[in-house]
Amino acid sequence: MRSFEDLNPIAVSVYFLLITVISMFTMNMFLILISFFGALAYHFVKNGFGKAKSHLFPLLLFIVTALINPFISHNGATVLFVLNNNPITLESALYGLAMAFMLTGVLYWFRLFSEIMTSDKLIYVFGALSPKIALMLSLSLRYVPYFTSQVKKVKAAQTALGLYKEDNIVDRMKGAMRIFSVMVTWVLENGIITADSMTARGYGIGKRSRFSIFSWKAWDVLLLSLSVALSCLSLFLLSGSTFSFYPYFELPSLDAFSSPGYLSYLVLSLLPTIIHVKEAAKWRFLRSKI
Amino acid sequence: MIVIKNKSVRSALKIFLPFVVIPVLVILSATIFKGKQYLFISALIAFCSLLLFASGFEKKKTGSRRLVLVSAMTALCIVGRFIPFFKPITALTIITAIYLGPESGFLVGALSALLSNFYFGQGPWTAFQMLAWGMIGLVSGYLSAPLKKSRILLLVFGALSGILFSLIMDLWSVMWYAGEINLDLYKAGLITALPHTALYTVSNLVFLWFLAKPFGEKLERVKIKYGV
Repeated sequence: MRSFEDLNPIAVSVYFLLITVISMFTMNMFLILISFFGALAYHFVKNGFGKAKSHLFPLLLFIVTALINPFISHNGATVLFVLNNNPITLESALYGLAMAFMLTGVLYWFRLFSEIMTSDKLIYVFGALSPKIALMLSLSLRYVPYFTSQVKKVKAAQTALGLYKEDNIVDRMKGAMRIFSVMVTWVLENGIITADSMTARGYGIGKRSRFSIFSWKAWDVLLLSLSVALSCLSLFLLSGSTFSFYPYFELPSLDAFSSPGYLSYLVLSLLPTIIHVKEAAKWRFLRSKI
Repeated sequence: MIVIKNKSVRSALKIFLPFVVIPVLVILSATIFKGKQYLFISALIAFCSLLLFASGFEKKKTGSRRLVLVSAMTALCIVGRFIPFFKPITALTIITAIYLGPESGFLVGALSALLSNFYFGQGPWTAFQMLAWGMIGLVSGYLSAPLKKSRILLLVFGALSGILFSLIMDLWSVMWYAGEINLDLYKAGLITALPHTALYTVSNLVFLWFLAKPFGEKLERVKIKYGV
């Protein structure tokens, strides 16, 4: 078997869609915390503990979102203290904290998604929806580095001609505009040439098909069915659970009916971590039997 | 893949879904139902209208030149997002839509939102950005004749769409955070976003001012040169 990021991109996308949608639109404190720690766990086993700088933005987001709510919303019955005639309540502070965990967790999930979904996988997933859009995505993705290098060339040529100075902001903007204008012309001509070459090679004759190196094996099907089953199970078991933030904070109930729901969501959010750790262990302890 | 056979029904749905159903749901969620499920449903509808558009596009026969031009303009939007201070996506989407039609405009807006977020950070906002930019392209494509004629109208349209885009995205972030339309939070958000909104609108104006006419001339030139 393969590691989580090497599984079929469609299964992986469905997994990410389910986990983020559930944690984004629930207000259940336990689910939010589970999803947050699941994202963090996978981030650490995948990327290690280095790169402290990359955690700066999530941390900042966490602090800001946790602090904003108590200063803006004054709902809630338990007043902690009064600031400028505005009561700061325990309930709205807890709501802010829940939102902070939710936003930061979702941010980590999306980061992991962007890391895993390389452009070839993206084109594969979109190809399943519409081969034509996949073709356009692949064209655009190839054009981005192409244009960037062309921008550099045009800029170098313009600088060599002495057309703009670096120290004058108006002049710099004018220069940027001129480069952009040059690029537009170049892009139009280049696009026409590419299109003619495509037509010459037979684009548009047959039905548009797609090529991919991804296949469906046992683990891909298992991941897809597990993620759908686990999220359905937890949604079904937890749809009736009651909790509240206002006027009094009340944690969701933990009883015989709802705890399997939390358990299945926990398994769902730890799925990538489990697969990753299992693969790493296998790689480490695999011994030749000969 | 969803396929709706009747063409007029499909194009009606394409406009009806995002323009009517989403605002109604959002207002309902804020006033009557105090819950997050309507935000969820509006996200679902945003997703569905994107799918609907994709399936309609798949069925159509598109010439290779239009296809490549749209992808090239998308790439240009993404490269343009790296320019400091100025964000040309809206302006380029409007210009492309005016000259290449509403559908191409929608595609340039939606695809450049999707792809550039791979460089700038994906998030739950991606689907809404795709829809918002796509809609700007679609509308300006339909308004192409008057926008081509009058430069002032074009500038007004560009400024309005820039402001509207920021307002809608801010509203959406506030609702996602608070679960309802919290006016205080919205005001606070708008004030913090004000420099961005202003810059955004100004950059729209600058790009439209400088690019709209030359772009038409360039397109004309390419048409003569290659006999499109």
